[in-house]
Amino acid sequence: MANEILEEQIGGEYKYGFVTDIEADNAPKGLNEDIIHFISKKKNEPEWMLEYRLKAFRYWLTLEEPHWAHVSYTKPNFQDIIYYSAPKQQKKLGSLDEVDPELLKTFEKLGISIEEQKRLSGVESRIAVDIVMDSVSVKTTFKETLSEAGIIFCSFGEAVQEHPDLVKKYMGSVVPYTDNFYAALNSAVFTDGSFCYIPKGVRCPMELSTYFRINASGTGQFERTLLIADEDAYVSYLEGCTAPQRDENQLHAAVVEIITHKNAEVKYSTVQNWYPGDKNGKGGIFNFVTKRGICLEENGKISWTQVETGSAVTWKYPSVILKGNNSVGEFYSVAVTNNYQQADTGTKMIHIGKNTRSTIISKGISAGFSNNSYRGLVRVSKGATNARNFSQCDSLLMGDKCGAHTFPYIEIKDKTAIVEHEATTSKIGEDQLFYCKQRGIDTEKAIGLIVNGYCKEVLNKLPMEFAVEAQKLLAVSLEGSVG
Amino acid sequence: METIIKPNTITEKVLKLIESNFSTLIEGSEKDNAIKAFVSQGVPSRKHEEYKYVNVDQILKDDFVLATQKNISKEQIEHLKILKGAFIAVIVNGVFNEELSQLNNLPKGLIISSISSAAENNKLIFEKHYSRYAEINTDSFVALNTSLAKSGVFINVEKSVIVETPIHIIHVSSANENIIINPRNLIVVDENAQAKIIESYETIDSSSKIFNNALTEIVVCENSIVDHYKIQDENEFGYLLNTTQVVQQKKSLFSTHTFTLSGSLVRNNLNIVLDGEHIETHLNGLYLTNGNQVVDTHTVVDHRKPNCNSNELYKGIIEGKSSATFNGKIFVRKDAQKTNAFQSNKNILLSDDGTINTKPQLEIYADDVKCSHGTSTGKLDADKIFYLRARGLSEASAKKLLMHAFASEVVNTIKIEALREYVEEKITKRFE
Repeated sequence: MANEILEEQIGGEYKYGFVTDIEADNAPKGLNEDIIHFISKKKNEPEWMLEYRLKAFRYWLTLEEPHWAHVSYTKPNFQDIIYYSAPKQQKKLGSLDEVDPELLKTFEKLGISIEEQKRLSGVESRIAVDIVMDSVSVKTTFKETLSEAGIIFCSFGEAVQEHPDLVKKYMGSVVPYTDNFYAALNSAVFTDGSFCYIPKGVRCPMELSTYFRINASGTGQFERTLLIADEDAYVSYLEGCTAPQRDENQLHAAVVEIITHKNAEVKYSTVQNWYPGDKNGKGGIFNFVTKRGICLEENGKISWTQVETGSAVTWKYPSVILKGNNSVGEFYSVAVTNNYQQADTGTKMIHIGKNTRSTIISKGISAGFSNNSYRGLVRVSKGATNARNFSQCDSLLMGDKCGAHTFPYIEIKDKTAIVEHEATTSKIGEDQLFYCKQRGIDTEKAIGLIVNGYCKEVLNKLPMEFAVEAQKLLAVSLEGSVG
Repeated sequence: METIIKPNTITEKVLKLIESNFSTLIEGSEKDNAIKAFVSQGVPSRKHEEYKYVNVDQILKDDFVLATQKNISKEQIEHLKILKGAFIAVIVNGVFNEELSQLNNLPKGLIISSISSAAENNKLIFEKHYSRYAEINTDSFVALNTSLAKSGVFINVEKSVIVETPIHIIHVSSANENIIINPRNLIVVDENAQAKIIESYETIDSSSKIFNNALTEIVVCENSIVDHYKIQDENEFGYLLNTTQVVQQKKSLFSTHTFTLSGSLVRNNLNIVLDGEHIETHLNGLYLTNGNQVVDTHTVVDHRKPNCNSNELYKGIIEGKSSATFNGKIFVRKDAQKTNAFQSNKNILLSDDGTINTKPQLEIYADDVKCSHGTSTGKLDADKIFYLRARGLSEASAKKLLMHAFASEVVNTIKIEALREYVEEKITKRFE
């Protein structure tokens, strides 16, 4: 019985699998220095940027693809990827009316309002969005309102043109191109992304958001996000993503860097819903992302919240380097895998400063034939007096063909540190289900209820607009997957 | 012999030792396979995930020779006999020594002999079990031991025999030049049988490094009960790489207790395979480290069949510049439904220069299971110290008391009273 419902639900459709027929400007397939010159030229980049890319590329050539993650996939052929694909547009856009209507329709279908309007009726809740389709940023909304507060929020390409000093100063300072294989690749070929700078003492008046969409076939998406919160600044940042349904595996290798100065706080939320592949595990996005933040000065705070439901293979560890004294790092994650999805995700908390604190709450849910791993590192360096960490990693198994794994690394070199780690693995209890059913709640809804309760600690951390979306997403991904 | 990959210099050095060695327990193609397995894996460096926190290759960089016979008198090992009435088997520098052993009046159904004589006299059991469990292809030290091992202890408790008297295997080493030793023990406890086995690792009278690559295979047959202890108390010349491979058959009960008290380097590889239903397994461990000691404990509990329970508790107190690592893996295979597996690792770090690494791992492929692990690391609780001081204890004795209490959770799992007293005494001395 359980299996029947499961089978039925495994057929659940990916809602965002359509393709927009939009004319695109593509680079030829393959990766070499010419392509990097091509991308750099397309973006009209200054010389230093090109040099950075070339340095990264030459370094990348010396690297081998890493194998340590608990995932297995066919290695992407890096020569068979289009590294630059931009929806064709003739001139710089002045207003929304000039945006290709096909493009607008795409985002409407995705449920993302590109227009500057109230999101939820009756609630004054506005979100500024930077929309990245394939390789380029299409449109950033609310730019003017934000710039009044001194906030810079624009595409990465624009930032390179208009704020080169900031980009030069911070880019690669948290994730250097030497960091890992995919960070090096990204540094060489990244095409666009979002850039955000919150000046001293400014509390960003609205949620900032980037929406990523892969559209073109045969391409890889390589974007970069750079977020800087100066002294006493605050920003809450959201990120969402979808891709069309295709048989091929498309590569998404992004880099996100966050820097907080004294007393600054950044909250970064992700709802990752790349196409996960069909029920036989064919197709889907390879999501190999390097995300890292650094609390440079004292009292900084960086908080990562992620809801991971998509991608064929996910391989990412949003991390925080707690360098400043009294800084705080947080990681809240829900990772759901179904069918043949594989996820190896977690975080790194590096305690360097004194009185630094970190919290890790990770909830994994595996169903179908999927494998879901938590991999995390908590490191307390010598001299990180009174560092404190609490980690909790729970896994929920639905069905007997999936796997749930925990690989925490804890390295402590300071005697004043207090570090705790707990992990549990279990399934949805028959008694829990029975309790709900006895009260007239059917199996489907009962599971939804239990799963939502299980993830509550994390979902509560999401901004309201996202929490609603995330809950729906969870329901779609898991309905009926009776354990 | 053909080599698969070009061995690095350290591996090559060790390979020369293998080639200079003769009359091992196994010869022919099995030995060749072991050598091949060793060469293809090489001596692991810190880049090896499983050897990330211990630099074994740095130790083997020095020149070593294979151990030679060493004369040790009865008096020299008298103090190593923890239990007076026990059956004692003594291994000197990796070689079973009958004269020093106390194996008189063995009850019917209990065989304790050198493993090389078992290879002749108990051929059937030897061939059925020897080198069938420890995996040469995933652990290069198992491969090394298999290609070098000449001697060790063989224990067989026959069907339905209950041996009340503890069996104590003393591994004692002594060297005046750097030596590698490779003792190999095989313990087979047949159906419905019971045994208590203690293995202790000691060094005496040494002035050079002793690299002890010791391997014990334990077969716990259906319905049998085995109580297993390890006391690791080598001195600063001791570098102990201790592999214990256990396979349990259905309805068996196996408990193991590891006490790591000293030694320059101790690496424990404890692998337990639960290959049957209704098995119960207990793993307990305590490591007290000081000075420049490195203690690295790797345990693997492999649940292969349904309805089994495992329970693991490891605790450590770290002082000085020492470093302690705990890496515990629990596998729950696809068919192992209704598994209960628990694991807990707690550490106290007392010094500024100490390091603790812990990596508890769960890999679970069955859904109807209850598995959890927990680890905590911290200092001694200031509130508790305050409580004791408010009652008139000095700070030092309050701390001592708390450390004792911390360790006692593991010490109290020792079921042999004399052994428990011995370990307690050692710990008390240590905290002085």
